[in-house]
Amino acid sequence: MNASETVATADRLDRRRGRLVPLLIALLVFAALPALLAGFDRGYFYQIANLALIFVLLSASMHLVTGVAGLLHLGHAAFYGVGAYTAALLTSKLGLGFTVTLPLSGLVAALVAFLVALPTMRLVSIYFAVATLAIGQMLYLVMLNWVDFTKGPNGIIVTRGFELFGVSLSGRLATYYTVAAVVTLSVVAISRLSHSYYGNALRSIREDDQCADAMGVRTVRLKMEAFTLSAFFAGVAGSLWAHMTGYISPGDFKFSESILILAMVVVGGLGSLPGAIIGALLLILLPEGLRGLGDFRNIMVGLVMFLSILLLPKGLLGEVSALRLMRRQLGAAWRSTGKDQGTGEGIGWR
Amino acid sequence: MTLRLLALTTLTAAGIAGSAFAADTVKLGYQLPLTGDTAQYGQDFRKAAEIALAEFNAAGKPFKVEIVFEDSRSDAKEGTNIARKFVDDKEIVGVLGDFTSGVSMAAAQVYKEAGMPQLSQTASHPDYAKISKYQFRNIATQAQEGPYNAKWMASKGFKNVAVIAEQTDWGQSVVGGFSDAVKANGGTVAFSEFFNRGLKDYRSLISKIERAKPDAIYTGFFYEDGAQFLRQLQQLGIKTPVYSTSAAYSPKLIELAGGAAEGVHLTSNFLPTDPSPNVQHFVDEWKKRSDGAVPGQFPAQAYDAVRIMLAAVEKASPAPTREKVRDALAQTKDFPGVTGKTTFNADREAEKELVKVEVKGGAFVPVAD
Repeated sequence: MNASETVATADRLDRRRGRLVPLLIALLVFAALPALLAGFDRGYFYQIANLALIFVLLSASMHLVTGVAGLLHLGHAAFYGVGAYTAALLTSKLGLGFTVTLPLSGLVAALVAFLVALPTMRLVSIYFAVATLAIGQMLYLVMLNWVDFTKGPNGIIVTRGFELFGVSLSGRLATYYTVAAVVTLSVVAISRLSHSYYGNALRSIREDDQCADAMGVRTVRLKMEAFTLSAFFAGVAGSLWAHMTGYISPGDFKFSESILILAMVVVGGLGSLPGAIIGALLLILLPEGLRGLGDFRNIMVGLVMFLSILLLPKGLLGEVSALRLMRRQLGAAWRSTGKDQGTGEGIGWR
Repeated sequence: MTLRLLALTTLTAAGIAGSAFAADTVKLGYQLPLTGDTAQYGQDFRKAAEIALAEFNAAGKPFKVEIVFEDSRSDAKEGTNIARKFVDDKEIVGVLGDFTSGVSMAAAQVYKEAGMPQLSQTASHPDYAKISKYQFRNIATQAQEGPYNAKWMASKGFKNVAVIAEQTDWGQSVVGGFSDAVKANGGTVAFSEFFNRGLKDYRSLISKIERAKPDAIYTGFFYEDGAQFLRQLQQLGIKTPVYSTSAAYSPKLIELAGGAAEGVHLTSNFLPTDPSPNVQHFVDEWKKRSDGAVPGQFPAQAYDAVRIMLAAVEKASPAPTREKVRDALAQTKDFPGVTGKTTFNADREAEKELVKVEVKGGAFVPVAD
C-alpha cells in the first residue's frame, strides 16, 4: 500500500466516523434518552434533562465567543435574560405562543448584543472582559429596576408552555422533545460555524489578533458577529427556560450565572464544542448527583472544578489552555510601558 | 432447631415492626437555601424545623414524621429541580419553603400542576398565594403590615413621611402597601426610593431623604442592610425617627448597628421576651442549639410554619394524602404559635397579630403605642 492509498483510507475512515458520531448522538438524544426517561417516568429526571440541555445551549453559544474567538465574556447570562424576558413579556402582554417567541427571543437578544457591541468591540483583552462585565450588569439592573416594563423584582409568570402553531407540547415527553430539538439544531448551527473557514478566522483572532489583522481578517467585524450570534443562541435558551419554568425573575440572570456558563466552557475545554457540551452536563448533573452529601456538595463541585483546571489546564477536550489565555488577556493590561512602547501592545482598544 | 426457630421469629417480628414503622411515617419536604448567599436564613430554618419535628415525634403521636431537607441555594433552577423531586416521591404529602419569593414562585408552578400543598415561611410576593389553591404562607403580608404601620405613624403625628425599601418583590410591596395607606389617612409621601440589597453606602440616599424634610422615615430592609443604614444615619447626625417592618426584627440588627439602632420603631409578631410558655420553650430550645443566641422573627416563622404543617398532617391522618393535607391547612384557624395566633383566610394568606416594638437600651421593648 503506498502513501497516497493510506491517506485515502484514513480519509475515508475519517469521513465515515464523521457521519457515525452525529448519528449516534442523534440516536442518544432522540431515542435512547427519552426511552430511558419514559421508563423511569419521574418528573425530576425530565427536569434535569431539560435543564442540562438548556445549559448545553448556553455553554455552546458562549463557546463561540470565548472558546473559538478567545474573548473573555463575563456577561453572557444577561442575553439569556433578554431572551427569557422577551418570551415572557410577549406571552404575558400580547398572548403570543412559543412558536413566535422562540425566534423573536433570539432576535431581540441579538439586536441588544449588536447595539452594545458597537461601542465596545474595539476593546481588547482585559478591557473587553470588563466591558462585557459592565454590559451584563447593566442589562441585569434594567431587568431589576425598570419596574413598569419588566415588573422588576416581582418577575413574570409565563402562562403558556411549549407549543407548535397552537398545538400544545406541554406533556413531559413533548417538553423534552421540544427542548432537545431546539438545542440540537442550535448546536449543529454553532458546530457548522466553528468548524469552518469562518471558525478558523475567529480562531486566528484568538491566537494573535494583530497578525490576523495584518493578514486581512476584519477582526472587529468578526468579533461583533461572533458576539451577536452567541447572544442570539443565548436568547433562544432564555425562551426555552421561560416557557419551561413558567416563572422568571431577574435573579435567574445575574452575574453568577455568567460565571457558571464560563466555568462550563473552561472545564470542558476552551475552543472545543464537545468540551463545552460536556462541561455544561458536568456542572448541571454533578451538583444534583451530589445532593446526598448535604451541605458539602458545593465544596465537592468546587473541588472537581479546581482539580480539572489544575490537572487538565486545557480542560477536558480543549484546544487552548484556559490559564494561558487568561494570563495573556489579563497580563496585557500592565505589560506595555517601557520597552514595548509604541508597538501597540497594552493599548486597551484598537 | 429451637434456636433457629427463635431467630426466625425474632427476625419476622423485627420485619413486621420495621414495616409497621415505615407505614406510620409520614414524609414532608423542606426546600431551603442551606448554602450560598442566603445560607444563614436556610440554616436557621432547618434548626427551627428540627426543634418542631423533635417535639412532634417525642409527643407519642400515632405516627412519626420525617422531613427531607433539600438545598436550593436560593436558585430557581435548583428550586424547580427539588420541586420535581419532592413531587416524584409519593410518600411526601406536603412541602415547606422556599426562602425567597422568586424560588418559591418558580417551584410553585410545579406544585400547582402536581397538587402538592406548599407552605412558605417567608415568601412575600403579592402574587405568591394567588398561584393556586396549593400555596400558603406563614408571613404577614405588607398589605396588612403597611396600613398597620401607617396608622401607627399617623397616630404619632407624622403627616409627611419618606419611604425607602430594598429593590425586591418584597420591597415593592412594602412601599405599595404603606404609601397607599398613608395617602388614605390624609398624609403625604414626600419621598420614595428603592435601593439594591447589600448596598454599602447609603449616604446619597440619606441626603436625598433629608432634602425632602420628612417627619419620619419608613423603611423596608432586612437586618444586614438595616444596620448599615442606621449606622450611616447616625454618622450624619440625623435625628428623624425611623420606622420599619417585622423583617428587620432580629437581634442581629441591634448587634450590628449598636447604638445607632436606639429609638427605631418596628412591628413584629414574635417577642422572645414574651413570658407565655410556648414562646419560652422555643427560645430555650433555640438557645441550647445556638450557643445562647436569641431567635429572631424568621426562625420563629419557620418554627410555626412547620408546626402548622404538622398539625395539618395530623388532622389529615390516618392515611394523609396531599389533597387532605391541603384541605386541613386551609382550615387552620387560631393556631397558637410563637408568632401569635395564625388563621389562613380564604386566599390562603396568614392573618397575624402584630406587636409594636421599640429599641430601647439595646433591646427590643414592646410599646403600647
